[in-house]
Amino acid sequence: MTKAVRQGGPLLGRRKMGGLAAGALVAGAFPAATSTFAQAADASTFVSGFALPMNLDPHQVYDVPMQSMMLNAYDNLYRYEGDPPEIVPWLAESHTVSDDGLSWEFKLRPNLKFHDDSPLTADDVVYSFRRMLALALAPAGAFLKILKPENVTAPEPLLVRFKLETSYAPFLAAIPSICIVNPRAIKPNEKNGDWGKTWLASNGAGSGAYRIVPEGYRPLEYLDMEINEGHFKGWSDNAKPVKKIAYRPTKETSTRILALLNGTLDCTDPNLPADQVEQINASKIAFVQKDIVMRTFVVRMNNTKPPFDNLNARLCFAHAFNYMGFINDILGGYATRDPYPMPENLWGVPKDAKGYDYDLKKAKEYMAKAMAEGAPMKRPLEIHVQSENEQSVQGAQLFQSELAQIGINLKVVGNIWSNLTTAAAKPETTPDMWVHWVSTYFVDPENWVGQMYDSQFHGTWKASSYYKNPEVDVLLRKARGLVKQEERAPLYEQAIRKIMADSPDIWIYNSMQLQGFNKRVKGRRFCTVGQGAELRWITLAG
Amino acid sequence: MLRFVLRRCALVLPSLLGLLVVTFLLIHAVPSDPAVAMAGDAATPEQIAHLRQQYGLDRPMWEQFGLYLGKVASFDFGESAFSHRPVALDIVQRLPATLELTFASLLLSVLIGVPLGVVAALKHNSWPDYALRIFSVLGVAVAAFWFAIMLQFLFSMTLGWLPLRGDLSATMSRPPVVTGFLLLDSLIAGRWDAFGDAVRHLFLPAVTLALGGLATIVRFTRSGVLDTLQHDFVLYERAVGYSRSRLVWIYVLRNSLTATVTQIGLLFGGLIAGGVVVEAIFDWPGIGSYTVQAILTGDRQVMLAVTLLVGAVYAMVNILVDVVHGLLDPRLMGRA
Repeated sequence: MTKAVRQGGPLLGRRKMGGLAAGALVAGAFPAATSTFAQAADASTFVSGFALPMNLDPHQVYDVPMQSMMLNAYDNLYRYEGDPPEIVPWLAESHTVSDDGLSWEFKLRPNLKFHDDSPLTADDVVYSFRRMLALALAPAGAFLKILKPENVTAPEPLLVRFKLETSYAPFLAAIPSICIVNPRAIKPNEKNGDWGKTWLASNGAGSGAYRIVPEGYRPLEYLDMEINEGHFKGWSDNAKPVKKIAYRPTKETSTRILALLNGTLDCTDPNLPADQVEQINASKIAFVQKDIVMRTFVVRMNNTKPPFDNLNARLCFAHAFNYMGFINDILGGYATRDPYPMPENLWGVPKDAKGYDYDLKKAKEYMAKAMAEGAPMKRPLEIHVQSENEQSVQGAQLFQSELAQIGINLKVVGNIWSNLTTAAAKPETTPDMWVHWVSTYFVDPENWVGQMYDSQFHGTWKASSYYKNPEVDVLLRKARGLVKQEERAPLYEQAIRKIMADSPDIWIYNSMQLQGFNKRVKGRRFCTVGQGAELRWITLAG
Repeated sequence: MLRFVLRRCALVLPSLLGLLVVTFLLIHAVPSDPAVAMAGDAATPEQIAHLRQQYGLDRPMWEQFGLYLGKVASFDFGESAFSHRPVALDIVQRLPATLELTFASLLLSVLIGVPLGVVAALKHNSWPDYALRIFSVLGVAVAAFWFAIMLQFLFSMTLGWLPLRGDLSATMSRPPVVTGFLLLDSLIAGRWDAFGDAVRHLFLPAVTLALGGLATIVRFTRSGVLDTLQHDFVLYERAVGYSRSRLVWIYVLRNSLTATVTQIGLLFGGLIAGGVVVEAIFDWPGIGSYTVQAILTGDRQVMLAVTLLVGAVYAMVNILVDVVHGLLDPRLMGRA
């Protein structure tokens, strides 16, 4: 969820293209007219510029674009709502957990229905979880080690039981990531025991507030959804919901901004460049909504490669990054400094722990100490960036210029996400340093520190600093096995203090989401999980 | 004629095989693991290893190539790691949009470029010729992305005449898919509203894409006509008393088009490649953006299939160019 790649990486630099577009408009060279082609002028159709996922199957793909499917076309047992996010009962009306944390039971609401009007029961929930486990793709990541298909059962028509292999506290936090699908729609389309994955990649089989229109779908290009009047939540909380959602993702920043400004789009994707905010807010038709999200930006250091295997060297690098310069000057202040290895607005963060500040004098001192200990600080170092994402390039270039001032030679290497994640599978192929974001897969410290700094995750991109501290491993594993948040929080705080002292990575900021909206859009509700993709609350004025 | 075409087709097969080998080797030289892309962001190493085994990615390269070749022979291009859908299905859905855009651009280039080229030659060294020569240079030099944005500013933002992006308005329902070509399907369904809307959406991307080709065709037609005008037969036909328009637009033009037709064949490949940028700016749902995404995500099956497809289309267009050459000058057919 890092990635502009999945969201349609621009072919041309965002700043270049967006600058051209907005610059000419503001200069008045081409005053924007009210377009006769304002496609969104229809008051019942919401035209969204949100990116589309790689395909429509919520058991195959799990990233930010998929949230549009998960939150609109499908339902989940529990769901995150509100800001700050709170996990609330959705298809389930309640749940219980045994004291040992191994047995979880979810009681479903009565009279639930899929889009084809067939009843949604516990058997369908069992099918959905077994399908997700059998496909073993991204959404299954949190469940594969702790849940066997045969241990998901339906003892009663409205009761689902999960018997876990080991106690796993983030289980409830991960439950919203699994969509409940309709086996009666999928099974007739199965081929060679594929669980209907080819069919569901282009179709819908859910119960959500909106239903997918298969003939209005072309992967990554467009998708239409129409309202499900019979949704279990009813529509009493929104007297005038939109009847149709037309997803029309735009690939280039300039087109995205122009489309917002001439009314072609009702909203853009949530990754608007910071330098476009003023121009959009100056227009009569659109505005930029700013929301703090849980998406951290981090420079990874490969702790197995010299000089990064030396604590003083890592401290040198931690003091050489110009945090506030990057946030204020490059990001226009649209981010918050986050010195912790996870979002500062999440529980489990030791608020009294002090992060590292930009201080080249201190950096030099640590550098001298590291060199005295034999760390090769003068060897040419590389930092790999996601070329298609301008912000990662800018961050690396800023770091390069700061390090040059203390005599460290850093080379910025352009790369792409798939190469970087492949390289991160082994310590010897992982770059010296690389840059990425960590988004909210589920709202739990496990999503950040748990998977980034427990050594059992070495080999995954999230754990690509190859940090290993047996004390931290013990704390994180213990926290993972407990159920109560009040028991887990102190363990995470302890672990984070130790991790920060070891400085394995450079933690820079927590993101602020910038999303452009047409002023006719009313009633939006934001939740950081899904980045505001849920649309059932929206109405269109006029 | 048939033997000529068959012989040309027979030569295409080894070319495509060579293309496939080179592309396969190049793609495998990139240190990207498709199993990682396939498994997704939150995948564990076990999930990735399972996929590697499932798709034979852990086998030696020659073995993978053999398997792939066997599948391609039966038109099975595998599954996209990117969409998790059959690559053939993705291409079948997207190629018509790209071809529609390419043909529209080519049509614009030829219909405007050839007459302008003739005018430039006839008005040799006068102001229309100078103006068209400057246009030819600018047309090739101007970056497509800049020209596209300027067209968007003028026709979509300022005048509001034409749509900014996409191939159909969001509020317009799509006609049933018969051929995959939106214009044709609109006509087949009798949906004149969709047809008109689709034409308006096609206009700006087609003009953007046509600019470079148009300039090239003007240049080659001009030089071809200038050359032909020097031939003795033109003097003879003028003396015989043919009308100026008959002489120029039939006899001179026919003898001047050999180089232009060759250029059109080459342009076709260029237009498909150039379409990548244009498709991205106008959100045109063709294979251009699909290919870019495949490259960025390391989706090997898609990269191989698209390369093969573009190679095959390019080869077919060149066969067509050879046939047109033969029709323009039957002596060439005999020599071949």
